[in-house]
Amino acid sequence: MSNLKEIFVKTDKCTGCNTCKIACAVEHSRSKNLFAAIHETPRPVSRVYVEWLPGNTKVPVLCRHCEDAPCVNACISGAITRSELDTVMTDTDKCIGCWTCVMVCPYGVIGRDKTLAKAYRCDRCPDLEVPACVASCPTNALVYDTVDSFSKIRRKIASKELITREGV
Amino acid sequence: MGTQYVIVGGSAAGMAAAHTIRKKDSSGIITVLSNEKTAPYFRPMIPYIINGKKQVSDIGLSGKGMFTAKGIDVRTAAAVVSVDTAGKTVKTGSDENVPYDKILFATGSRPYMPETVNGLEAPGVFSLKTVADAVAMADRSRKTDHAVMLGGGILNLKAAFALLEKKIKVTLVVYSPEVLSQLMDPEDAFLVRKALDTAGLSILTGCSATDIITDTDGVCAVALDNGKELPCRMVCVGKGVIPNTDFLHGSDIKIDRGIIADTTTACSVKDTFAAGDVAVTYDSATGEKTVTALWTNAVEMGICAGLNMAGINTRYSGTLGIMNATQVANEPFVSMGIVHTKDKDVETHIKTSNNTYRKIVFNKKGTCLVGALFIGDITNAGMYRYVIREKKPIAGIKSHLINHTLHYGHFM
Repeated sequence: MSNLKEIFVKTDKCTGCNTCKIACAVEHSRSKNLFAAIHETPRPVSRVYVEWLPGNTKVPVLCRHCEDAPCVNACISGAITRSELDTVMTDTDKCIGCWTCVMVCPYGVIGRDKTLAKAYRCDRCPDLEVPACVASCPTNALVYDTVDSFSKIRRKIASKELITREGV
Repeated sequence: MGTQYVIVGGSAAGMAAAHTIRKKDSSGIITVLSNEKTAPYFRPMIPYIINGKKQVSDIGLSGKGMFTAKGIDVRTAAAVVSVDTAGKTVKTGSDENVPYDKILFATGSRPYMPETVNGLEAPGVFSLKTVADAVAMADRSRKTDHAVMLGGGILNLKAAFALLEKKIKVTLVVYSPEVLSQLMDPEDAFLVRKALDTAGLSILTGCSATDIITDTDGVCAVALDNGKELPCRMVCVGKGVIPNTDFLHGSDIKIDRGIIADTTTACSVKDTFAAGDVAVTYDSATGEKTVTALWTNAVEMGICAGLNMAGINTRYSGTLGIMNATQVANEPFVSMGIVHTKDKDVETHIKTSNNTYRKIVFNKKGTCLVGALFIGDITNAGMYRYVIREKKPIAGIKSHLINHTLHYGHFM
């Protein structure tokens, strides 16, 4: 198991405020400034998607950087590779906009830059200590952690809840 | 000494298998025998060699995508001419015998050259399959002001656009009533057709070539069955492909159209496997036997073969005979599973707008998604593929499938 950090989603904490989407788009803009970014062409876009489910559940979805990633295997131009940070990256120079990755991604998290005809996705903000979406989330619904540490904390919370419920 | 793996063919399936084996077996000896002179490359990229956007060195496979393993002996210009499954050796064109413990046949396919057209051997007549073909086409294109493409499939369209970008007039001659007939019904194709027409491609449908007419400089015209003659200096044939199985004639490997592979990609003789264009596999949407000619399928099947060869028993999940994504003339489209619905007993939902077309196909009872065609807007196509391939229950999501509001949350 990888000891590198990943982005985890806690759907119970997400209020659907879309702050993550704005932070993501700004981080992937040329100016990296909200007020300048909205005037850029093409307009910067988010690589995080916040979906809605009946029962008013909000589901932030983003590239999972799958261990056995279908997009890596499917890419016909060799543009998609796994980085040293264990992320799945699309090399924009090599991408030819054939959209085979879009066709095989079961999460629907690969976007299409229609102006440049290039695919884009979450890159976990390699220049930042903490990805922009996680840093901006006001309810801590997005967590940047290792699998080990995240599951340990979740287990602790779950057992605490269990104990409280049982009134021990 | 480790296991001797021999892989016949150095393209998608063969190289995917080689790299998969290396990741699972660090001591085995992996030898890839390729009949091409060029080191393995991303074959779907060859149209970019024609228009000069890429050089041969740009499209090499090694080190990119899943092809990152080391210690694979790739021998180029090493065509295999026969296989001795009893003695477990293969013979190459230079009469070298290569022994194996386990062997993968990934010899791919070659272009089908229709016998109904006379003179296809003339200089200036091509079919785009290898880097060498692309280089030769680029060369010929310098003295061409009009090229005629025979066949309206995706590869010919890509080649046509590569030539159009070089300011060469291009005429596409299609026997079917519309282009891309393998990937959609004629009625589905109007948006793509409009984009092709706008881009300046001349398209003649419902007719086919009968003769290639030549002069001292090779092809100078194409004669059609409607009596017309198209003067041109270049012809590209894109009429489908046939599996390369000739080297197995006289062997005990079972062949029917292609090499018969079971659900673990194994052939009829122990320790032999087949993957890619040459293999007969099954369609997960129709359940029928199928031969496909798709890079993505070949890689997936090659990975499965590699795992089985390395001793990790893995079932091949089958392919969708139709599974294409691409963009031609700025029009993106995805076609997957059963998309030809004319006179077919299926439940079809079509939604169109000015610049999008979507066709969603369910089985007769409407209980299972079997196909999807997206033109213009291909958002979330991968989720549809997932539902088709895994035969996911659709009871709770059918309206989302039809209205294109499906998202990952619906699978949670």
